Amino acid sequence: MEYQKIAENVIKKAKNLGVDEAEAFIESNRDFSLRVRNGDVDIVKQSSTKGIGLTIYQDNKLGFSYTSDFTSDSLEEFTKRTVQLAAVADPKPWNGLPDYGKEENQKDLNLWDPSILEIVDSQKIDIAKKVEKIALSCDKRITNSSGASFRDAESETIIANSKGIARSFKTTSASFSVSVIAGEGDNMQSGGWSSSKRHFKELENIEEVALEAGKRAVEKLGAKPVQTAQVPVVFDRYAAGSFWRGLLSAFNGDSVYKKTTFLSDYLNKPVASKLITITDNPTIPRHVGSLPFDGEGKITKENTLVADGILKMFIYDSITATKARIKVNTMARRRGYKGTPSAGTLNTIVKNGNISREKIIEGIEEGFYVTGLRGSGTDTTTGTFSVGASGFWIKNGEIAFPVDGVTLGGNTTEILKNIESIANDLDMRGSLNSPSFKVSELAVGGKR
Amino acid sequence: MKEYFKPVKRREFIKKSVAGGTVLATAPLWKLFSYSHPPPDMASNPPIDLDKETLGKLLSIALQNGGEFAEVYVEYNVSNSIGLDENKIRAATRGVDMGVGIRVLQGEKTGYAHTDDLGMDKLSETARIAGLIASGKMKHQSVSFKERKSPNYYLVKTSPDSIVPQDKAKLLWKANSVVRAYDKRITQVYASFSDTNKSIVIANTEGIYVTDDQTISRLTVSASAFENGKRSRGYAYKGGTLGYEHYDLLAAEELAKEAGRVVIAMLPAQDAPAGEYPIVLAKGDCGTFFHEAIGHSLEGDGARRKSTCFWDKRGKKIASKIVSLADNGTIPGKRGSINVDDEGTPSQNTTLIKDGICTGFLYDNLNARLMNTKSTGNGRRQSYQHYPIPRMTNTYLMAGKDDPEDILKSVKKGIYIKSIGGGNVSPTTGRFVFSVPEGYMIEEGKITTPLKGIQLMGNGPDVLKNITMVGPDLEIWGGGTCGKAGQGKPVSDGNPTLKVAKITIGGARIRRS
Repeated sequence: MEYQKIAENVIKKAKNLGVDEAEAFIESNRDFSLRVRNGDVDIVKQSSTKGIGLTIYQDNKLGFSYTSDFTSDSLEEFTKRTVQLAAVADPKPWNGLPDYGKEENQKDLNLWDPSILEIVDSQKIDIAKKVEKIALSCDKRITNSSGASFRDAESETIIANSKGIARSFKTTSASFSVSVIAGEGDNMQSGGWSSSKRHFKELENIEEVALEAGKRAVEKLGAKPVQTAQVPVVFDRYAAGSFWRGLLSAFNGDSVYKKTTFLSDYLNKPVASKLITITDNPTIPRHVGSLPFDGEGKITKENTLVADGILKMFIYDSITATKARIKVNTMARRRGYKGTPSAGTLNTIVKNGNISREKIIEGIEEGFYVTGLRGSGTDTTTGTFSVGASGFWIKNGEIAFPVDGVTLGGNTTEILKNIESIANDLDMRGSLNSPSFKVSELAVGGKR
Repeated sequence: MKEYFKPVKRREFIKKSVAGGTVLATAPLWKLFSYSHPPPDMASNPPIDLDKETLGKLLSIALQNGGEFAEVYVEYNVSNSIGLDENKIRAATRGVDMGVGIRVLQGEKTGYAHTDDLGMDKLSETARIAGLIASGKMKHQSVSFKERKSPNYYLVKTSPDSIVPQDKAKLLWKANSVVRAYDKRITQVYASFSDTNKSIVIANTEGIYVTDDQTISRLTVSASAFENGKRSRGYAYKGGTLGYEHYDLLAAEELAKEAGRVVIAMLPAQDAPAGEYPIVLAKGDCGTFFHEAIGHSLEGDGARRKSTCFWDKRGKKIASKIVSLADNGTIPGKRGSINVDDEGTPSQNTTLIKDGICTGFLYDNLNARLMNTKSTGNGRRQSYQHYPIPRMTNTYLMAGKDDPEDILKSVKKGIYIKSIGGGNVSPTTGRFVFSVPEGYMIEEGKITTPLKGIQLMGNGPDVLKNITMVGPDLEIWGGGTCGKAGQGKPVSDGNPTLKVAKITIGGARIRRS
């Protein structure tokens, strides 16, 4: 490919300038989206972007820069500047390209669907119009639309470095979504839902997505705060994500090394209830969270972070692992070409339980079923978990009324140990997937 | 390496970087920058001079299927950053973003396309795609551009892009040594300096032709402390639309001391109590509260779509009489300050709430036109990859008359909020949540125990009614990057000392009574 050549040329240029090591990361995207509001097309947007990020190591010093200007004179200048930037940094003995060792061959994870390129505009508009129409008409209490959209995209990722690594993969994605408003005046609630897949044919049923959005707006009408209380709390599978996301950021190996995370001392120790097993698996074919190699170009594999409640590994990229002198499978995330890789999960899965969510709720005399979380959540320094929450109050094993405007607070390690049951409702929708679960007791902050 | 970044003026850099463009088969747009270019030593001369003929051509192509309005937005953006971590300069980095976004409007419809490939054929194609939403006949006549000049609200004498990273590193080293000397319980220090230097050109079929050079800079110091199993974090920053002349070793030292003060103050913090409490917000660094809780619900897109809680409240009382709120992009040097918005409309000072009455919304051109009003200069976009939407600039609660000491004394048991961190809001319900990096108990009118894990939760309409005291000591501070509809935009905010009579506090501690 043309971009592959550009990446390799930049590496060659850098080598000619005498650097120790160099890595080029190129990403190019094409993205089409449209939005429909109240039956009419409102916005159509077409994007094409590309960029190259160049990392240079010279005498253990790091230099980085990026550009979207691929003209050859500019790339020459760009490479020179990046080499010069490396001179500004201080040497760190652990700086450098990863050790790739013996790796498996790159797998085809089937992340590219050529049929996405063939969807005609009228079909995209129809999908958006249809999902909006059904969502607007599924309940009399729905009063307004915030819009429905369709989006399709293709991207190509290329990594090349002076160790001879030259890898690339392509992905496609298609998605549609809708958001509606229920109620009027001081009693308005919005609800939305979406479907996003690598393959067009796998998109969920339009009607189901529309009804889910409508349901989510209507069922919250009349939501109110409750009295401050300490009660059992059920985290819905879709709300659980932000709890796990906060926890996982405390798994960062460099923070562990610097002792700035509350999990620093938990390696190989019980950190959660025995019911909890957390893995990271970016190798599932066709999945939106999958990718064949990570942000450092290493072939991805499945890793276990927590097994039956025991913390099995922290998350390192190759530089932080070298620094901490730890031998683990590294996991590096990269947010596009504008930055260097850093340690992070790729596609995380909390293991399914064997009891239904309904059964869990049935067993609660008085408690809180959380379906929405707001705010940053976990303080990775102190381990304090504190968020805004909405959902439903549980009374005598049944959903009693909608709740909003309350907070949840607790200590993350205590919450993890107090996970009493895990539901069997795992739905692999994104890059962080969890079933619903119940915590035996948590502080719900509301009215006095 | 001493010739690295020899103080190159940004204009010259643009010129240099475009020289390479000639390898393209067709004349690249960037080449045009170099034609009528002022000598590099005249940085204060007119910004980018684009070939207006090319812009006019693109506008014509964009409207070839009809449509009422077309616009070309050209951006060239250089970002620099340098960070110090673990007693070492981690890296100096640099990035270049450039591209062109073309927009076509017809009725309520928006067509938008952008490209970073600046050959004329690719630009024409982009213009054509943007125009695909329109239908009808071409009505467009060629425009003669009027250059629009605006007052300057940026405090930039020396572009931070012209400073060698080695000089910026000196600030970081100073901050690092001052924080580490502040207290031996401080274990980690991170300091960084970053700047973005954006040059834009906006030309549209109404004949508007605007250029602007937007510099935003920031010096941040953060620290972690550890003692007896307790950990804390603290940070301090200075930033805005500021040139490098606003940063020196003294500024680095002051920030370092402030970061040290916060991290040590918060080290013994206890779990915050959950429940309803009165709060006192300290002046200056709590303005995010108003940005999120109120401001987003007063943006013109939500008002037009009737999807925010205040859409029908214009002219109505929505707050207690002591509440007045403004969004003001014209305050010199603030992070959200702009000479013009990203549609070329001059920046303004807009009163959103006056003595408790809702007086207006924030508009871009599209929403203003559909609502039969005028843009308030709030049509902003993250980059050429985005179409403009109504966004805040610098948002603040206006000064009142209550003595800050009396405000504190009036609270028997409550929470003192020294600064507000991240927050978010649902504009439909006005429901918000904020985290609080530095907060304390108030007992009998006095600030006592430091608290961790405070979340403020509530909704905008309720909070506005519960503001019972406002001090005269308005300060507009720092700010951050606001995210909306997938677009990040620099903003600032501010507030005087004030009291909210009751609000829900989230925390890990429950009163057992």
